Amino acid sequence: MIPEGLGRLEAGARLPPAVSTYSPHQLGLADEDGELELSATMRANLLDFDAWGEVLKMYGRTMRVAVALTDSEGQLVGECHNPQSVWTLVREAASDWGTGCPFCITKRLPCAAVADAVRLGAVVVVHDEASLTHVAVPLTLGKQSLGAIIAGQVFDRYPEPLLLRRVAKDFGISAQELWDIAKKERPVARGLLLASGELLAALGNAFLQQRHGKMLEEKLAETNDRFRWLAEGIRDYALFTIDTTGRVTSWNVGAERMLGYTQAEIKGQNFSFIFPPKDIQRRAAETQIREALRTGRAESEGWSIRRTQEQFWANINITALSGPEGSIQGFAIIMQDTTERKKIALVLENAQQERGRLQESFLSHVSHELRTPLTAIYFFTTNVLDGVFGDLTPEQHKHLALALDNITQLKDMVSDLLDITRVETYKLTLARQPASLVKVASEVLSTCNTNAIAKNISLRADCAANLPFVWADPARVRQILTNLIDNGIKFTPDNGTISVKAKLFGQDHDFVCVSVSDSGCGIRAENREIIFDRLAQVQSSGEVSRSGLGLGLFISRELVSRHGGRIWLDSRLGHGSTFYFTLPAFSLAKYCSHIFSSPNLDAGSVTLIAVDVVEVKGGVQADILREIRQILERCIHAGQDVLLPATGDEGPIVTFFIVACTDPKGSALIAGRILKDLRNFDKTSQLNPTLSSKTVLVDRGRLPEEQIHEVAAQIESSVQEHLLSTERYK
Amino acid sequence: MTQTKALIAQGSDQATGKTILIIDDDEHLLLGLTARLKTNGYAVVWARDAVAAISIARKQAPDLVILDLGLPAGDGFLVLDRMRALADLIAIPVIVLSARDPADNRRRALDAGAAAYFQKPPNNHEFLMAIRRALGETVALSTFLKT
Repeated sequence: MIPEGLGRLEAGARLPPAVSTYSPHQLGLADEDGELELSATMRANLLDFDAWGEVLKMYGRTMRVAVALTDSEGQLVGECHNPQSVWTLVREAASDWGTGCPFCITKRLPCAAVADAVRLGAVVVVHDEASLTHVAVPLTLGKQSLGAIIAGQVFDRYPEPLLLRRVAKDFGISAQELWDIAKKERPVARGLLLASGELLAALGNAFLQQRHGKMLEEKLAETNDRFRWLAEGIRDYALFTIDTTGRVTSWNVGAERMLGYTQAEIKGQNFSFIFPPKDIQRRAAETQIREALRTGRAESEGWSIRRTQEQFWANINITALSGPEGSIQGFAIIMQDTTERKKIALVLENAQQERGRLQESFLSHVSHELRTPLTAIYFFTTNVLDGVFGDLTPEQHKHLALALDNITQLKDMVSDLLDITRVETYKLTLARQPASLVKVASEVLSTCNTNAIAKNISLRADCAANLPFVWADPARVRQILTNLIDNGIKFTPDNGTISVKAKLFGQDHDFVCVSVSDSGCGIRAENREIIFDRLAQVQSSGEVSRSGLGLGLFISRELVSRHGGRIWLDSRLGHGSTFYFTLPAFSLAKYCSHIFSSPNLDAGSVTLIAVDVVEVKGGVQADILREIRQILERCIHAGQDVLLPATGDEGPIVTFFIVACTDPKGSALIAGRILKDLRNFDKTSQLNPTLSSKTVLVDRGRLPEEQIHEVAAQIESSVQEHLLSTERYK
Repeated sequence: MTQTKALIAQGSDQATGKTILIIDDDEHLLLGLTARLKTNGYAVVWARDAVAAISIARKQAPDLVILDLGLPAGDGFLVLDRMRALADLIAIPVIVLSARDPADNRRRALDAGAAAYFQKPPNNHEFLMAIRRALGETVALSTFLKT
């Protein structure tokens, strides 16, 4: 009888500690820290039998043992039979060896040698039922178990016939035959077996380490390769560094390729050579360095130039490089050649412009075609209405007047149609001048009054006293106001009120705010945002009215924002709405700021020259006024004098004002030039130009800013004074 | 409206003895505008294309020309240029009345010698004022200020 458990030998119990606790860790083969979890592929690679086979075969032949390699689960990876006669006989006879230990001859207890070796991290020695012995050696990498080597199937004592007979019976082979083979076997000393196991552990783990190292190297090489590819891939970038004076300190391959210079020839040169000559003149390099010094980085886009003088569009990024104390030591510059991108952008832009142009030409064609019949209708209607063909009955008059209203509406829509394309093609032009809001508002009010009277709506205006001129196109302001007032009338029920107010606005009173309030139905909160959108038409509660193309507010918003103002609204449902818009106030100080510089004002005085031109026969014509302006422009010194813009108040006498930074003597010289040139232009002296001047002394005790405002205020009051006096003259 | 009426009344009383040539290819416009001009005391002649315009202008020697820009057989600018090149037509004031966008054409027309530019449809009152001014007729100051 064989006692249970005989086939197993607990490593911890029977082996000396040095052997049982053998671990590659203690040999310093694995790194405790920074260990990477091995992937399945990596594990399979590490246990590749093609690599192990030669080593294990050599060992087996030398030690006269059979050797096998398993993974950490005990699954066979490969084996080398250095033929062990007993084992071979039994194994060949066995129909089913099973999935357990490839070595153990057993039908009863599954072998746990590999599991034990892996668990304990130590060499385990095992007897099987035929009393053959093998050792299981764990293979570990750092703390991770990778598998085991099993070696052995030799007798460590003389074979026992009783045991062999039982094995023969179990595996269905002849006991005599087995014994005949077994008795020829020579037992191996137990100590030798252990020592060889120990040797195998060292050998196996060293080989594993080497293999692992080699794999890491391969991987590193592969990664390096990838880096190289990455570097190749960014050949569109030039990278170089410069010192604080702009001299190149390093120059990479990309820079060499992009700009065409080698590091050797460019080191120490000022980096401005990357800019085309006209940018060098404009000191583009210095500007960018200054920006990078101030904010730490500068980014720009523009033309750069290669050694071949070929220009290319580049994105240039400058980053300040700080030294250990935080002081800036130099700059890193990254350039990217974006010529292709720029080309595509240009193509897209052109396509968009082309689309806009087509749309504009279509709409301008439509508008043109609509105007022709509209004009005929207008003439026929007004002719009849004005009694060209005799008197009308009140009923006829009323109906024709309504027809005319509709014609006017149609005309406005046609104009809106053209404006909308101008908005979209950025062609909306503004002829800005200092304009009187009071004057524009009263004009608009008198035009809109007809519609208001029809609904018995009272139309009121209330403008703050001393309202400054606005810097705006009066025709456009008229358009905005008309839109808002007409809308108000449209959405206000009969007998309501609409009031227009204007007052100073903004922190420095540099804007004028105009408001148009109605007592209409109000606008729902959700509609307040979209009401300024293109084609927005908010359904009014109650009465549904025809309200044009829905472009009015959209165009108004565009016009206001083009003037630098803002438009918004305030509304309570059922309590009416108020639309607000702001326009920049005309400031003489701002308009003349470029000549009101300290050196000019140091002369001590500023002179206002007024040129009055007297109307001849039905008013001075616009083109004559234009020519006079051109003559005056030629007579003054651009850097020192300013011809003020026309206010559009052309009456019987038109006045041109010149602000000259000069004393009475200098102004007399200018006046002489002007008179001479005007006489040359108007030989019959119909215009009868007269000149007058007023000198303002500069108070030198003041700060420059105060000085400018003081002078501007005085000039402004002189302008008012002059206009009032010419009014009297009339 | 009332102002225009006043002007018509004023004009229809007496003939001015002045002739206006309208150059336009739109029959209806010719009809409508002529009625108004006649009421204001002007004799009116027509030309419907650019070529006829010049020969009629030379034959009739009008005091003023109202010119459309889009014309058959050459455009209005061509007419304007020809008129400015011919000694007998050089002094005749021209008022352009066109459906074309003033933003693109007013400048060019004025530079080419037009006295004024109106986009169709014009405001009757402003249009008549411009005609009178171009003809050098004295306009009552009170009327002028009301514009």
